[in-house]
Parts: sequence; structure tokens; C-alpha cells
Amino acid sequence: MSVVAADNCSKWYGHVLGISDVSWRLRGGIVGLLGPNGAGKSTLMKMMAGLLRPSRGALTVYGASPFEDVAVRRRIGYAPEHEKTWDELTALELVTVMARLAGVPAAGARRAAEAAIEQVGMTDAMHRRVRGFSKGMRQRTKLATAIAHDPDLLLLDEPLTGVDPVARMDIVERIRALGERGKTIVVSSHVLYEIEALTTEIVVIYRGQVLAEGNIYEIRKLIDRHPHRIRIECDRPRAVAQALAGAEHVSRIELERGGVLLETRDPDRCYDEIAAAVLEREVTVSALGSPDNNLGAVFEYLTGEGGRR
Amino acid sequence: MTREVPGALSTVLAITAVTWKRLLRGRALAMGAVLALVPVAFAAGMRGAEVTRGLVPNLFLFELLIVSVMSPMFVASSIGDEIEDRTITYLWSRPVPRWAVLLGKLAALVPIALALLAASWSLGMELGVGHGPAARSYAALAAGVAAVAMIAAGLALLVPRHGMALTVCYMLLDATVSNIPASIENLTVSYNVRAIAQVPPLLVGDAATSAIWLAVIAVGWLGIGLWRIRRLEA
Repeated sequence: MSVVAADNCSKWYGHVLGISDVSWRLRGGIVGLLGPNGAGKSTLMKMMAGLLRPSRGALTVYGASPFEDVAVRRRIGYAPEHEKTWDELTALELVTVMARLAGVPAAGARRAAEAAIEQVGMTDAMHRRVRGFSKGMRQRTKLATAIAHDPDLLLLDEPLTGVDPVARMDIVERIRALGERGKTIVVSSHVLYEIEALTTEIVVIYRGQVLAEGNIYEIRKLIDRHPHRIRIECDRPRAVAQALAGAEHVSRIELERGGVLLETRDPDRCYDEIAAAVLEREVTVSALGSPDNNLGAVFEYLTGEGGRR
Repeated sequence: MTREVPGALSTVLAITAVTWKRLLRGRALAMGAVLALVPVAFAAGMRGAEVTRGLVPNLFLFELLIVSVMSPMFVASSIGDEIEDRTITYLWSRPVPRWAVLLGKLAALVPIALALLAASWSLGMELGVGHGPAARSYAALAAGVAAVAMIAAGLALLVPRHGMALTVCYMLLDATVSNIPASIENLTVSYNVRAIAQVPPLLVGDAATSAIWLAVIAVGWLGIGLWRIRRLEA
């Protein structure tokens, strides 16, 4: 049986579309829900958590509607996207009450909470009030509230947002460890490399629809088939442009103030050749990046809109 | 790990306990205490004055006004903020019936409002006229607090952002309508509370009938709240 089954599932907020006609099966493992802001990730997450009811179609978790069926929610752990919690409580009090409300008997709730807090690396701060927590600490506390009752399905909505790189790596490790323990985990993000660090299985969602689903490398290949832009900010953009002008994978070169913008069909090769040209011609590079790392641009390519530009 | 769907009573108790804890650490309780002291200060100021003879009914009406503000301040704010801040998602994603969340909040907040009002009324009477109030006036205020709390809960679930303001407006309208000598007065909290209390010279209506009317109003609004909470999405 599928953990999550969505059949022609749509959700509107008045006239605004949340998700549209989504049919999807989740069978297990860690799955990344990838899409730009406003794509419908949180809507899908909330529907799986039983917070929203489909406007049309059906969505079930372990064969039951999470909105209607109270019992199935004991198998779900949900960490919402927003930061606000019951800030007056300490982390331990918050996680304990959440464990109790998720069905852990009162006698064992505190122990379960302490174990969850330890799992997310917050033991030192568990007696402090949530009000004074940093973003990273809040994310960890939310994760603890989601795992304290040992759910089978974990729904983590943007768990890495606003977290510093060190904490991010730590949280990624802890989520992966939960996955290795057999939990089914859905993690949403609008940042491709965050998802890449967690899993190879992704669902790409854009404008309320599931655009692609499967292995992240297949999706990457799909992305790489489309022209990829690289911007080099340097002291001698003309020299870089000259060095790469003859390359057959470069389809376009545009000189900009303080830099050069390249369009290539083979990003890996292009990065190598940029490095070689910069070294050979002694160019000082101040920044190197791809505007296509912005998911919106990548998705426009995937939906064909980028190709029409 | 044992994982059962928590029982309704256990859920109500857990919500009640956490609501108390949050209330004790927040500002609402202090604001409620200050509000409760206003009629006390009024009574103390009037002590010994020529107008003291009319102090008891005026003080009672003052307490009734405080009921109209304090109950929504606790209940509508607690429910409305939970929905507006989206912290309600933590509760609704748990395997607990939503009605138990509403009852847990009411079970936590109504007694607090009651205690503050009872203290205010007792202290006001002691300071103003030198003796405590009649027992039935406590019962009337208690019934009023409970009824306004349910109105506040219903309105906060219908319009989370403006639940408190709407309840206060509702109660101002209620107080106005309660003075219209027609059968419509039975539909108001203010009239029924006055009828139960029978504070001289505010001797209106019949206490038993008013108790029934008050129960009808409270249960009606509780029903609206329970209907709404089942359908609300976060």
C-alpha cells in the first residue's frame, strides 16, 4: 500500500490555486518536494498532515483521509514551515505536550520528548524558552515536536530555511539518520542543493502541478539539456569572452558591466574551460554563479517557457 | 513506543494545562488583573460618598461591563491568535478531536476569568459598602462569564483576526438591547445576568427563566464554535 496516494487532487483558496489535479504515489524513503515559492509544496504538505481538505479529488495517508480520520494522524509527524510556536514554553515543555497530544502516554511523554530533543541536538537548550531561540534552534525544536511520538511518516516543510550552513549540515545528517531508521520522510524545499544533500528521489512541483518525479540525476539531465547560464564577474570580461568564443557548447556570450554572461549546453565542461581561461589569462574573478540556480528559471526551462525566450 | 489516539479527557486536560502555563507566562493575565481592579478602584473611590446607596447596582453593572471585555480578552485572543499565528497547525496535525481543543481552552480560561471577576466583585463590595455580595450575584456573574466566553469562542472561530473586537461590540449591542422592555431582552446576556443576580434595585425578570435563556445562548454559540472548528482549515 502507498504511504500517500493523491488522485486528481486539487486545492483552491477561493480563486487562488494551491495545487491542481495532482496524482501521485509515495511508497517510502526520503523524498524531496522541490519547487519555487508559491508552487504548492506547502499546500500538498498540509493536505498530507490533515490540515487542509482537497477541493477536488482525494488524498489518503495509509489508506485514510488525514483531514477526516483522527487516528491516522498518530502515524504522521509534521513540522510546519512557519517559525511561530508556543514561545512561552521551554523546548522540553513544548515537545512534551506535543508528544502527549500525539498519543504518547503522560508517564512516558517527558522521556520521549527528551529523546527527541537529544536526537536533534538540543539537549543543552531544552530548558530554555523557545522565545529566545535562533532560527536554527527553532527548526530543530520543530523537528523534535514532529518526531517525539515516533511517527511512520515525517512531513518537514522547508526544514532548512534560515539555518546557517553548519546547522544545515547537522540537520541534514539527522534527517538522513531518521530515513535510515526506516521512516518515510517528505522534505520540501525551494533550493535544489538542499534536497540533493538529503535524497536522490524528488518530486518537482510548479504552479500547483507535479512537473517531474524520479531520480534527481534524471531531473538534472533534463535540466542540463537546456541552455544553462553562467555569469562571471571579473576585471577583464573581454578576455574571458575571447577565450570561450570558439567553444562549440557555448551558444551565446554577452558582455555586461564588470562581467560576462555565457549560455552553454554543457555546464560542467564550461566551468572547466572558464577555470582554464581565467588561469591562463590571469583574470581576477570576483564572483562566479548561475542565475539558473534560481529554481523559477529552471522550471521555466522545464515547462518550455525558457525555450521560447 | 505505545502509540494510541489520546482520549478526549486526556486531550482536554493537556490543552487546559498548556493554556494555563502560557497564560501565566504571557501578558494577558496581568492585563486581566488590571482590568479587574478598575471596578475595585471605582468602589473604593465612592466609599462614604452620598452616592453610596446607588453603588451596589452600579458596581454590578460595572462588573458586567468588565465581563464583556475580560472573557473575550482571554478566550477570543487565545483562539484567534492560535489561528492567526498558525500555531494551531501543531494541534490539528495531532490525532486529537478538534472539539477537545476548544473545550480545553474554555476549561482553562473561563475559571481564570471567573476567579478574577469574583475577586473584583467581592473586593469592590467590601471596599465600597463594607460587606460582601449575595451568593446569587456570584452565580449570575459566573453564568455571564461562561456565556460571553462561548460567544467569544464562536466569534473568534468565525473571524479569528477580529474575534475580540467583535465580541466586545456584540456585548455593547447586547447591553443596549437588554434595556429594551420587550421579549427580545431574553436574548441578551446582560438582561439574563441581571435577572439571575436580582441585585436591588435591578430587580428584573425571573431568575430561573433567565438561567435557561442564558444556557440557550451559550450552547447556541458553543454549537457555532464546534461546527466551525470542524470545518476550519489551517
